Amino acid sequence: MEKFTLEIIQDTLVAAGDEMFQTLQRTSMSPIIYESLDYAVGITDAKGELLAQGNGVTAFLAALDSVVRATLEKFNGKNALEEGDVVIANTPYAGGGTHLSDVSVIYPIFYKKELIAFTVNKAHWTELGGTFPGSVSTVATEIYQEGLHFPFVKVKSKGKINEAIVDLIKANVRLPDSTLGDLFAGIAAAGVGAKRVIAIIEKYGLETFKKAKEDFLDYGERMCIEALKEIPNGVYEGTTEIEDNGFGEGPFPIKAKITITDTEFIADFNGSHPQVKGATNLAFSGLVTGCRSLFKAITTPRMDANGGAFRPMKVLCEPGTIVSAEAPSAVSVYYEVLITSIDLIWKILAPLIPDKLPAGHLRSVCATFISGMHPDTDQFYIQAEPLAGGWGASATHDGNRGQLSCGSGESYNIPIEIREMRYGIQVEQYAFHNEGGGYGEFQGGNGQYVDYKIVSDGARVTAAFLGEKTKTWGMKGGHDGSYNYFMIIRKDGTRERHSLGTNIFLEKGDVVRCVTATGGGYGNPNKRPKEQVLLDLKNGYITKKEAKEFYHI
Amino acid sequence: MRVATDIGGTFTDLVCLEFDRKTGKPTGVKVAKADTTPANFEQGILDTINKGKVDLKEIGFFAHGTTVVINALTERKGAKTALITTKGFRDVLEIARCNRPDLFNFNFVKQPPFVPRFLRFEVEERINYKGEVIKALNTATLKAILKTCKEENVASIAVCLLHAYKNPKHEIQLLQELSKLTNKIEIIASHQVTREWREYERTSSSVLSGYVLPIAKKYLNKLEEKLKAKGLQDAPYIMQSNGGITTLNDVKSNPITMVESGPASGVFGAIALGKVIGKKDLIVLDIGGTTAKCALIENGQVKITTNYKIEHSRTEAGYPIQTPVIDIVEIGNGGGSIAWIDEGGKMHVGPKSAGAMPGPAAYGRGGKNLTTTDANIITGRIHPDYFLGGELPPDHASIAEASKPLCKTLNGSKEAIAKGILRIANANMINALKLISVNKGHDPRDFTMVVIGGGGAMHGADLARELQVSELIVPPHAGVFSAFGMLMSDIRRDYIRTNVLTLVRQQKDTIAATFSEMQKEAISNFKADNYKEEDIKFTYYADLRYAGQEHYVKVLLTHFSRLTALEDIIAHFHEEHEKHYSFRLEAPVELVNFHLVAEVAVEKPDFPKMDASGRTVAEAIFDQREVDFDDLGKHDTPFYRRELLAPNMMLHGPAVIAETATTTVVTPLHEVRVDAYGNLILTLQKTA
Repeated sequence: MEKFTLEIIQDTLVAAGDEMFQTLQRTSMSPIIYESLDYAVGITDAKGELLAQGNGVTAFLAALDSVVRATLEKFNGKNALEEGDVVIANTPYAGGGTHLSDVSVIYPIFYKKELIAFTVNKAHWTELGGTFPGSVSTVATEIYQEGLHFPFVKVKSKGKINEAIVDLIKANVRLPDSTLGDLFAGIAAAGVGAKRVIAIIEKYGLETFKKAKEDFLDYGERMCIEALKEIPNGVYEGTTEIEDNGFGEGPFPIKAKITITDTEFIADFNGSHPQVKGATNLAFSGLVTGCRSLFKAITTPRMDANGGAFRPMKVLCEPGTIVSAEAPSAVSVYYEVLITSIDLIWKILAPLIPDKLPAGHLRSVCATFISGMHPDTDQFYIQAEPLAGGWGASATHDGNRGQLSCGSGESYNIPIEIREMRYGIQVEQYAFHNEGGGYGEFQGGNGQYVDYKIVSDGARVTAAFLGEKTKTWGMKGGHDGSYNYFMIIRKDGTRERHSLGTNIFLEKGDVVRCVTATGGGYGNPNKRPKEQVLLDLKNGYITKKEAKEFYHI
Repeated sequence: MRVATDIGGTFTDLVCLEFDRKTGKPTGVKVAKADTTPANFEQGILDTINKGKVDLKEIGFFAHGTTVVINALTERKGAKTALITTKGFRDVLEIARCNRPDLFNFNFVKQPPFVPRFLRFEVEERINYKGEVIKALNTATLKAILKTCKEENVASIAVCLLHAYKNPKHEIQLLQELSKLTNKIEIIASHQVTREWREYERTSSSVLSGYVLPIAKKYLNKLEEKLKAKGLQDAPYIMQSNGGITTLNDVKSNPITMVESGPASGVFGAIALGKVIGKKDLIVLDIGGTTAKCALIENGQVKITTNYKIEHSRTEAGYPIQTPVIDIVEIGNGGGSIAWIDEGGKMHVGPKSAGAMPGPAAYGRGGKNLTTTDANIITGRIHPDYFLGGELPPDHASIAEASKPLCKTLNGSKEAIAKGILRIANANMINALKLISVNKGHDPRDFTMVVIGGGGAMHGADLARELQVSELIVPPHAGVFSAFGMLMSDIRRDYIRTNVLTLVRQQKDTIAATFSEMQKEAISNFKADNYKEEDIKFTYYADLRYAGQEHYVKVLLTHFSRLTALEDIIAHFHEEHEKHYSFRLEAPVELVNFHLVAEVAVEKPDFPKMDASGRTVAEAIFDQREVDFDDLGKHDTPFYRRELLAPNMMLHGPAVIAETATTTVVTPLHEVRVDAYGNLILTLQKTA
């Protein structure tokens, strides 16, 4: 009977995770949190072992438990955490780090004076100061240009808010209401989770709780090892590259060697290029989080995440590479390197497990930050968002259209009607394009155009669209897809094509066209049924010219 | 006489209430059940009318709830539909919100749109967020669009233009032009379905409305005709998802409002019941064969939401419909839910259900899986004479066979597994019940729980104990309570409009003007159905948030008419926000949506009272058997017949109260009182 009680405790922890997730979404003031859901929430035990996690984005899978462990490293002994303390941290190079914009709130939970667990969340705050609006720069060379850095500081001590930190934030960010709103939303969400954990312990007792969590972690490991057995053992290698560092230099290779046995999965990135000038660097803890999300995708995609399910995975890399960058390298565009790393393992393993991994997808967050003054309210705005594009085809179906990259997940686009009111920007089109590619027995999903017309002077755009020179990859005879890029169409009709761009000035009447890639195709195009090609043509997913040239119809 | 019929997934129910028109006193209740007939749903209704021997000539009021809309949607049996939208935006429907709930499944398949790309047309026009026309509507291409539609046998067209929630001018023009050009195709525009922002949600709502429009109209016409032929004088009233009924004419113009009418009427029945027994704060739990649904009622009011999706799950994004729906949480946990073990050795219950065929193992129809119902039998909680409506005894050999794999994997007895199933099923339901209560800032101890549906009373006592609700009520006819609820509903229409503004004194006129414009629309709709303006009761709500936030809290505006109380409204919002989210901010408060509820009360009977029988409670006992109450131990337990329990009787747990459509389990900790209406009222007699 006890077994069922343990399971119920585990499910209750997962439900508490869901509740924290909703609280943060509903109370945040940043669209990147409440629409893009660029955050994750979790519960760990007193040592930082992950017990439950609720995700908006896939990319924070190693962030929560390791940020708790890093917190424990700093606060121990005489300096140990006390009831009512809340810590915030965004150090990229320490446990759980990504870039400064992603801030973790770490909330220790005490029961009868004993530290028994943590609730924790990590969210992308729209504004944290730094050289450019949105705290992202593709031309930063040091972290000091990328915004405010919280090196594991107590924002609350024994239940009392640390006004000095609040004042410091207020004085250093461009949208203080929104930034502080995000801070309080994070604390509120963690507090809700903490209450639920206490309720579980009050109901079932501390010993049962501890037993349930050990049982849960072992269960995660068992589930994972069962799944690992399905993947052919072997050593597999591959290379990819970061095309540009924002200074016109590159490409920079990333190497991976994957070793799979029945009980282990080792991703070795030794030999990757040294960290670069510019912000296209990933710290080691970011690399681990990327590897975890791919690992989860091929082992236990449907299971509620817990630390046990990652025990069989190891990531190796010497310090100081483009995927294990060290202080004080700039990292604000880390997410492009992260997704490129995921894509590398994906491409290496896809032929082995085509039922789990399709051909290549847009492989970029295509994040844009447009800032300026609202034409009607005259208030400063920053529109920050990821963009959707095409996914690769697989052995069983065509590629999906209109989806965000693998780094996102339960993230949403910003509705046009809300965007136009909030930012004053006018959307001219939101549509699939015909830039070609992705032909195969199964066709890659179309990429898309989003055209933003700027309606007030003095706006600026920062964006990073990797994949401007590299197409998404096809598989088993399927063709490669197309490119990600953005284009400024000036009032006078001149066009500027970009991959990485920072603080590009825009005038009233200019259009920013964001172009996301079409996904890779799967299998030989000659095997695609004629009626399917004709239907694609009727739907305008492909053009007449493409039908003739690639499908001979 | 008043009649309500409710079409469910398996059965069609009829409840007929006879009452004295002078005194309002009910004189009798008739209940009939027939199989649901998916090919022509109206046949099932006629069957219940025949079975119940109801003479339609004597019926003054006929209310009807139907699954025809949700059925057409989930089985993809709607009309071939086209979409006309703003130039540059025909892919909004397919791009959807770009989310991927199945986060770590990189080989997912996105749900396809209801309208294929070649039937998504664009027209030149543009209105901005302020509602200003920045590009005039060009209707020159409509002829070509209609030509394609005819060639493709399109039966329905949905129109949805950007920012039409703010200014529907171009949609209205389009409707006029289209109706000049065709009378064979049904046409519906977004502003007729919803006046809220978010273009994808609005487009999806319009498309799904168009998709069900022809089939729903046809059904309603046939129903009206057949009931008339059988002698019904007045047109029937139709149940909507907002918990109110409306006229046949009204629902024909926008049938999507019926999408969740079944669960809505059960909840409204509970509210009506609560009114007569003086309980305004209720948690309603409806456990059926496949799912459990729950809703929270605060101060006699249930929340209405337009954040509704069909086919939404932890792995699928679903299709949104912005129509007013009672705020219900539904989980895949019912009597037929199957227990199974995953690769890591963990047992789960549901969401897969054994349904009616083959059904739980106990049905002996070849069901090879152990279900929640089987677990209830193993623990002795269902009397064999009352199993499956008393039609046949449970098949114990089949249960033993179905338990084997679970016993082996988990190395436990059948009895231990059964208790595990019940614990897990109950924990799932507790999590759902917490979602609507604790997670929204409500303390369940302040609430009374009402359990309905076939399984509600089986699990109610355990759940009530865990949630610490003060009282648990099992109403009479709990199995057909949805139909019952319809008899207690008023005519209700919800008008919701997005018009974002900051709550400051300067905006008072705009606020008043918006509400009065909505009120005018409501009055004209009701007048079209021959209702008088003075009979309409208006209630005003606003969806409020801190400026900069996205999500809002719905706040009742009690003092709207005087409009002197902006400060009160803001103060009320701060309170509500803190209750829901545990903090308040200094930021200014924004109004996002105006929400007007217009109701006309219909003449209703009182809730039927029951007479004392003069017998003793002991006379209701028909058997004594061992029942396993899990952590409360095994007990030799008396079994009572529900029909022999009468007002003022009291009994103590452990007990089981059996009736045809459900069974009430009374734990050793509970005691039961029968009230004047025949409700079983369970309270804790002592703590564990």
